[in-house]
Amino acid sequence: MFIVADAATFAALLFAYGYERVANPDWTRPFSFWPSITNGIVMTVVLLTSSLTIIAAVLAAQAGRKTSALRWLGATMLLGALFAALHLREWIVMIGDGWRPFRNPLGGTPLVGATFFSITGLHLLHVVTGVVVIGVIALGYRRGRFEPGHLETVGLYWHFVDLVWMFVFPLVYLMNMR
Amino acid sequence: MKRYVIVWLCLLTIVALEVAVTLSHPPAGWLLAGLLMLAFIEAALGLLYFMHLKYERRSFMWSVILAVVIAIVLMDHFWLDAFRLLHQRISAP
Repeated sequence: MFIVADAATFAALLFAYGYERVANPDWTRPFSFWPSITNGIVMTVVLLTSSLTIIAAVLAAQAGRKTSALRWLGATMLLGALFAALHLREWIVMIGDGWRPFRNPLGGTPLVGATFFSITGLHLLHVVTGVVVIGVIALGYRRGRFEPGHLETVGLYWHFVDLVWMFVFPLVYLMNMR
Repeated sequence: MKRYVIVWLCLLTIVALEVAVTLSHPPAGWLLAGLLMLAFIEAALGLLYFMHLKYERRSFMWSVILAVVIAIVLMDHFWLDAFRLLHQRISAP
């Protein structure tokens, strides 16, 4: 139910953004292929790979290979943290260029910054929360408090975060490439 | 695990396709349609294999798919505000 509710939240945000994007003649496109889109491609590969590592963790846990499962969970956390770091670097560069949620340094509609920071910010919050939750589950699993089923549940959440990015990257980044 | 690696490679290929479509600089409306189509294929692969929807009971799988389709149709066609777009030209750069 949580994932369905969260999916509805992101869907509403992305639909609203989509309408604003295609109907606004004053829209400015802030991203050049290098470095912004390239950074986005790397972030996408990192997040997709983290989905694969959490599957490896769940499969190892179900097979009773505890150490291997913990290592894969660690790899997932590292990839999640790398994604967040790349994302924050992107934000810092944009803020340095004068972008704010209500200010467009290129002179067009401020909606560009508002939609970018709100949609990617909400997604980033989900990624950071996911990394923390995976850490908590990994600790509990090591101590025997959690079972492979718990890993599978957190894996579903992580795949959902990945799934949202599958829409955020093309709609928010690629649609706004110069 | 081999199955998941194949799905992962498919997802990476779709990302590459999305970038290629963007680099061909189509009009905004066409770009949005193309990227959305590829994103839905990507999401379907993620849902079916990574989130195991393919291995759930058929009734559950189809009820999720039906709910998603209804939600998308509601958002895209039946929200009152969406009708405003019919009277606006797609004018974004």
